[in-house]
Formats: sequence, C-alpha cells, structure tokens
Amino acid sequence: MERRSTGSWRAWNRTVDEKVLTRHFGVEGLFRIEVYRGQGGYSAVETALKKMTPAAVLDEVKRACLRGRGGAGFPAGVKWGFVPQNVPKPRYLCVNADEGEPGTFKDRYLMNHNPHLLLEGTIIASYAVGIHSAYIYVRGEYEAIALRLEGAITEAYRNGYLGKNILGTGFDLEMAVHRGAGAYICGEETALLESLEGKRGHPRLKPPFPASVGLFQCPTVINNVETLSNIPFIVQNGADWFLKKGLPKDGGTRIFGVSGMVKRPGIYELPLGTKLRTIIFDHAGGMKDGKQLKAVIPGGMSAPILTADEIDLPMDFDSLAGVGSMLGSAAVIVIDRETSILDVLSAVSKFYSHESCGQCTPCRIGTSWINKIVKRLARGEGEEDDIDAIIRLASNIKGKTLCPLGDAAALPILSICQKFRRELEGYLPHA
Amino acid sequence: MPKILIDDRMVEAAEGLTLLRAAENAGIPIPHFCYHTAFPPEGSCRMCLVEIEGLPKLELACSTMVKEGLKVQTMSAKVVEARKGVLEFLLAEHPLDCPICDKAGECKLQDYFEEYGLFRSQFKEAKEKREKKFKLSRNLILDRERCILCTRCVRFLNEITKTEDAGILNRGIHSEVGIYESELIDNNYSGNLAQICPVGAITDSDFRFKTRVWFLESDESICPLCSRGCNIAIDSHPGHPRALRTRRVYRVRARPNPDVNSHWICDYGRYGYAYLDEARQDRLVWKKGGLETRLIWDKAAQILTEKVRSLVHLRKNSRIGVVLHSNLTNEELFLADRLFRKGLGVEKLFLADPPPGKGDGFLLTSDRTANRRGLLEVGLPVQALDAKALSDLDLLFIFGHYLADGTSAANLKYALEKVETKALFASHKSGLDGLVDFVIPVPVIAEKNGTLTNVDGRVQPFVAGLDFNGDGLPEWRALLDLAKELKVEPKYFWPLASPEGVYQALRKEIPFFK
Repeated sequence: MERRSTGSWRAWNRTVDEKVLTRHFGVEGLFRIEVYRGQGGYSAVETALKKMTPAAVLDEVKRACLRGRGGAGFPAGVKWGFVPQNVPKPRYLCVNADEGEPGTFKDRYLMNHNPHLLLEGTIIASYAVGIHSAYIYVRGEYEAIALRLEGAITEAYRNGYLGKNILGTGFDLEMAVHRGAGAYICGEETALLESLEGKRGHPRLKPPFPASVGLFQCPTVINNVETLSNIPFIVQNGADWFLKKGLPKDGGTRIFGVSGMVKRPGIYELPLGTKLRTIIFDHAGGMKDGKQLKAVIPGGMSAPILTADEIDLPMDFDSLAGVGSMLGSAAVIVIDRETSILDVLSAVSKFYSHESCGQCTPCRIGTSWINKIVKRLARGEGEEDDIDAIIRLASNIKGKTLCPLGDAAALPILSICQKFRRELEGYLPHA
Repeated sequence: MPKILIDDRMVEAAEGLTLLRAAENAGIPIPHFCYHTAFPPEGSCRMCLVEIEGLPKLELACSTMVKEGLKVQTMSAKVVEARKGVLEFLLAEHPLDCPICDKAGECKLQDYFEEYGLFRSQFKEAKEKREKKFKLSRNLILDRERCILCTRCVRFLNEITKTEDAGILNRGIHSEVGIYESELIDNNYSGNLAQICPVGAITDSDFRFKTRVWFLESDESICPLCSRGCNIAIDSHPGHPRALRTRRVYRVRARPNPDVNSHWICDYGRYGYAYLDEARQDRLVWKKGGLETRLIWDKAAQILTEKVRSLVHLRKNSRIGVVLHSNLTNEELFLADRLFRKGLGVEKLFLADPPPGKGDGFLLTSDRTANRRGLLEVGLPVQALDAKALSDLDLLFIFGHYLADGTSAANLKYALEKVETKALFASHKSGLDGLVDFVIPVPVIAEKNGTLTNVDGRVQPFVAGLDFNGDGLPEWRALLDLAKELKVEPKYFWPLASPEGVYQALRKEIPFFK
C-alpha cells in the first residue's frame, strides 16, 4: 500500500521547473539563513532596498496582479496602495499566518521549510508601504512553526536584514511573532487585529478598512503568508515573468493542498489555472484504493462543494466563481462515494457552529440551529421539511452577517443541500 | 446638506449622520437592537439592514453614512425578509416568557415581532439552557436566556462609566454577558443598564414584578435631587376606579437631553423617588391652643395677611422673617424677593437647605437641591440660618422642611417658641410640624409648573406631571395670593397669574434669564 507523509515535497518533484515558492524545499536546512542565502535568498531585499524606490516596488507588485492567497483574492498591490502615506500615525504590517481554514496547510509548509522567504517578502512589502513594524500572527496550534519563525527573525536581525538601518540603506523594520489562541475567527483580518491588540477576537465593522484604520487605529496592511512569500520573486524576476507563471489577471503559482481520499495527499505548487481534474488525478495520484470520486471542496471548507462532474475546470479565482464556488485558500478536499454526504454536512455545520464568534445574530444562532438540525438528521430523527429549513436558515445567514465568516458557513451548507439533496433525503426516517 | 431618497421620499440629512438617524429624523423608523445613539455603531444585531440602490448586499442603516444621492429602501421585500430572518434567529433562542417578563410591553423584540415577524416558530430543537437569575449588581438581575447579546450594557460600562465591569464570555452560541467573579457592578449609573437593555435580559429588582408597564403613565419632569437638572420620566400608576392604588410612582427613567444628561441619570436620582409618595403633607392645619383645625388656604391667607398688616402698621417689618430653600423654582424665588424684600422691606431672609452630599464627577453634583444656581441668579440676599436671629421675630414664613436638618431640635424648639406666628409651607412631614402654627402642604417639583436653573446655568421649564393631592397649593400661587391680599404693588402683582407670567416678568428684570 502506498503511504506517504501528508504533503511531502518529494511527491511532486517532477514538476520542479514550474515551482517558485517551493523550489528549494528539498535543500537540507533551508530554514537556516546561510543555506537560504546560498540559494540566492535575501538578494531580493538587496535589489529592492538598494536599487528600487518604494513606489517602484509597489508598481511592480501591482503589475504582477498578485492576488491574495488567504482566500479573498484581493490584489495585494492595490491593497498596499490604499494605505495613506501622508498621516502622522505609524503604519503596520500583519502577516496572517492564522491558517485555520479546514483542509488548508500550505502556509504551514512554507513557514516550516522556508521561513526566511516569508521574512524577505515581509521586509520588501514593509519597504514598499513605508512600514517599520511588522507582526506575524501565527495560529496557536503552530507552536513549532512559531519557534522556527522566531529563530529566523533572530538570524535576520543578526545579519542586518531586520532592525535599524537595514543593509545600510537607512530603512528600519522591527518584526515579532504573535501566537493566536486557537480561534478560527482570528484568521478574519479585523478579528486578527483585535486579537493582536490583546482583545477578544471579534471582527470589526467595516468600513473603515484596516488599510486606513487598522492595528492600534493605525493604517495596516494584512497579507497572507503565501502572498508575501511571492514578493521576493516578483522583485527579482519582474512582474512580466510572474504573470507568465499564472494567468493574465492572476499572476503566479498557487500552492494547492490536496487532502482526502487521494493516493498522494500533499501540497502541489502549480500554475494558476491548472485543471482540478489534473490536480486530483495526475499530481495527487488519483483516488485512493480504487474509490470513486463523489465531490470536491475546491478551496477550503468555506468553498461551495463541486460534484464529480464539475472538476473539469481551471483552478483560478474567476473560473471557480463562475460555477458558484471559490478558489479560497486552494485547499482541495477530495470526497469519495463511500463517504456519506451527511457526514460531510455534519463536519461542516459542527465546525462553523463551534467557531462562530457569536458577535452577530445570524451567524451565532443560525450556525447553531443548522447544526442542531443536522445532528438530529444524523440521529435518524429527521423530518420532511428539515432540508428546506437548513436551506432557508443558511440563506438567512448568507450576505447578512458582520464579517465574511457568515458566508463561509452558509455557502458550503447551501451547496451541499442543493447538490446532494437526494442523498440527504435518503437519511430521513421514512425513506 | 446631502439629499437622499428614503422609500422614494426626498430627505435632507446633515453630513456625518447615519442612515438610521436620518431616516428617524424624517419619521421613518428603522428597527434596531444593538444601535444606541450614545455609542458608535456596533452592527451586530443585523436588524437595521436596508437596501441601497446599486449595492449587491443589504447594508446596515446604523453604520452607513448619508451621501448625496443615496437611494434607500427600508420596506422592500428583501429588507422585510431579512428582518424576519433576524427575528426568527433571535426568537429561536429566546425564552417566550413574556407573560412573566417585566420588559413586556416595552420590549423591542416583542414590538418588532408584532411589526415585522408574526410567523410561526419552526424551531424544533431544544433551546440552550442558561442562567436565569444572574446577579449583576445590587439592583440588577441578568437573565441570560433572554439576552440577545446586543452588548449595549457592555459598551455602556466601557464608554460611559469607563468602569469596564462587564464583557462577553465564551464563544458562538455559548456567548454570554459576564462580569468579574465575585465582583458586582458597583457604580452610580448601573440603573441605566436596565433601561438601555432592549429586551428583558437586565431587569431592575426595584421594579421587577411590581407592576406591568402598560398600567403606567409616563410624565416628563426634571430630577430635583441635585443641581444637574437631569431630564427624567416619572412612571406612575394612575389608579383604577374600582381598585385602590397601593402605590403611585413605580420608577424614574432617564429622558434624553444631549445638553444636560445625554441618555442617563444616576442611581441616586433613579432610585431616590420615594420622596414623591412618602411622608407627604396633605392637610392644611391651624394649631391654636393645642387644637388642630383644618382650614382652607383662603382663610389661612387671611389670618397671615392680617398679621403682616399689623406688623407693618406698627413699623415692625424687621420682626418678619422668611426661611427659603433652593428647591423653589426661579419664579417662586423671584416672587419671594419681590414680595418680602422689595415689597415689605423684610431683611431677615434665611436659607435652609439639606446638607450637601458628594458629587460623582459625572452627573451628580454635591448640591442636594435643584435650584441653587437659580437662587444665586435671582439675587436673593439670603443669610445663613441663625437660631438666635429667629428669636427676635414675631412672624416667620418657613418654606421647606429643611430647617429641622441643620439645627438641633432643642435649639430650634427654643428659638421658634419665641416667635408668635409661624407658617410652614412644606411638601413633607418633619419635626417642624409640631413647632409651627400653620402647616400648608405644597407640591414637589413633579407636581407643579415652573423653571429651574441647573448647575451650568441652563434654565429648564417643566410642567406638572403628577397630581398634587394635598389641601395646599404651589408656593408661587401662595406668594401671589399674599401679595394681592396685602395689596403690595398692586399694579405689578395683579396681572401675574401663572408661573409663565412670572417668568416673563423675571426675564425683563434679571438679565441672566433673558
């Protein structure tokens, strides 16, 4: 039987040319600064800080169409451009490393194997926006990774990449790691800010957006780990090179984290727009133990589910949005025919009911109510109108909550109920 | 000013106003729970969602600022559906114990359900079990099952009292309002929490289970318990033709006034309403030779004016004294000045006020009367009360029962015994009653008309809300009657017949009141 550790980089070694972020994962001790520099690391910082103006860096990132890798896909350069430059307040950068979306484990690998890449991207981003304090908000469960990042930061300070007068350019940047306490909601950017400020992780009302009023009421940039890890390559190779790696309006590669019933679960760095079928059947080796594909969740648990017939589509933001799903964090969860869809629905509803922060009414009570109905269905005490009730409740959550997590809960539940209604009805007692 | 279209009606709204406020100002109510004018928008109840043309999702009316040309629908099918959705969620986890809930009748959840809900419950699951009687403070009880987590209470304690006593504990459906273990909320404004709670989650043990709100009548008034002049509403039971009223006033609530008390009152003012009903003077009596005779005011006024006249005739004006207090209205103080000092040449004007208390630096001042500033601005040259000075008098008009507070009972008795005739105008019974010849009941602030000048010099008019049930009459009327009976400056006094008229005269004469 074929057994591999989840997400081993070796699994997809044959596509090495395509890779950007994970290219050097195989190098022994890459997390140490000497090794990283031996692979050309920190040369992008030299290029950016010594040869480019902040505006030039910002322009390059804008042209590269680097869309956020955390889930929403907002162009990073545009986001940076929103930060006001003429206010007397300090500006902050927060790295969102609170990788909590079920099925997602790409940032963990990036930070574990190549923490300096993230640091380098963060330094360049800070330089471009004129930021002198950066925080890495790591999810609480990633204890070893937090330690690894702290080690990397210490090394960077020692080698003059952080601190005062970086590389003699006069640019200062302080960086620190902050560990979360294990709440999914703190991956939502404004809840992350609250948590970072030492408060309860409740999302803030927007507007104002963090770019103008963020951490400690100051302008703040919040980017995902993978997003920032792309920055050194954009600076080194240029926006045109980066665009060629992906799609015209969606530059670069994506790290797909494949889990579920496939032969080789793991992370796969592939060009944006790679077909979902290719990812599952070529890269991840196809279905495990001869099982049949039933459904795929294409972008982390919040992404609406796709049926087996819907997998012939390119994995990019717009294509998935076109079929009513989303690329999200590019975490592909593969579900086989033997898995009961009610179990999937139970897992989804339990997760969101457990992780709803409780601040706004529809999410707090809606997710809990849905979970109560699903639990009753699972006990075999379902009633005729239960599935309609779930659909109605999820629709009342959708688009009506304070933060995006209401949609994150409602959309997958709606899609499961709509696409697999017949199977769910099979769980009703009379059936 | 930006022009916006609300429900196809052109509305002009000031820059910086939220849609909710703009609509409210235009008479279009938008339902809401968590929003409160005194706090920045919270946006968590999701009840105030409205449709804005050109935007894909419903938007919050409580946090969206008005902008030229916005087209807003507050009653479209989509909006009504969303409101129903929120109500359905809230009611799913809300105990339907309205019949035993003190908030029933003034509960936003109840009202909005009547207006926008009226659906049958489809909730087949078990409701969460939570603490029903959680003690928050000396007076407040939290019912966590009724709580809809609008966090108004938490924000009040963070932003108004800045004591930060409460917060939200736990997560998701298990979220609940909590305070520090073994540390109750203890500040002079805690009573406001029960008032701002939109549902029956926080109830006040002072009011809990005492009556139903729909039996109560609400009257606007001004709190006279310190010199802040907070605007209040007094909720009282009007009585029932076939049932005896056991109690009149049930509670006092804050009435919003951004210039004085915002939306709040202190607990001293809120819970100190017992004076309205307890130990009130109700009989006008004349005590003569150990006999108590009930009189009508006209008769008492006749006897008193006779006495004044004879003293004035003998040029013994200096043997007349008047004791005043600073709970009298501007009009009454002004009339006292015109009649006694300017009209009769009385020089012995004393002040007897309750002793000052402690201010709290927010609303409560150290004065324990309402009109100290008014007394100052009317310019009455009052002296501190001197028991010895009293003994040189033949006639003493005593306004207020506070005289007994400052002087020892024995001294007071000794001094007053030497005064031939003593008339007491008091709203409450006190140790003075036995030492005087006339007891004339007078109303309290809530029972009469007039104006008060608060500590910041703001003149606030008020009208009688509660009925005055005694034999007597308001001090302003007594003073006018005496002046007319004595024919002091008839041209001046004859046209005066109401506090409003007196105030017009006051405005003409004292620049401060212009």
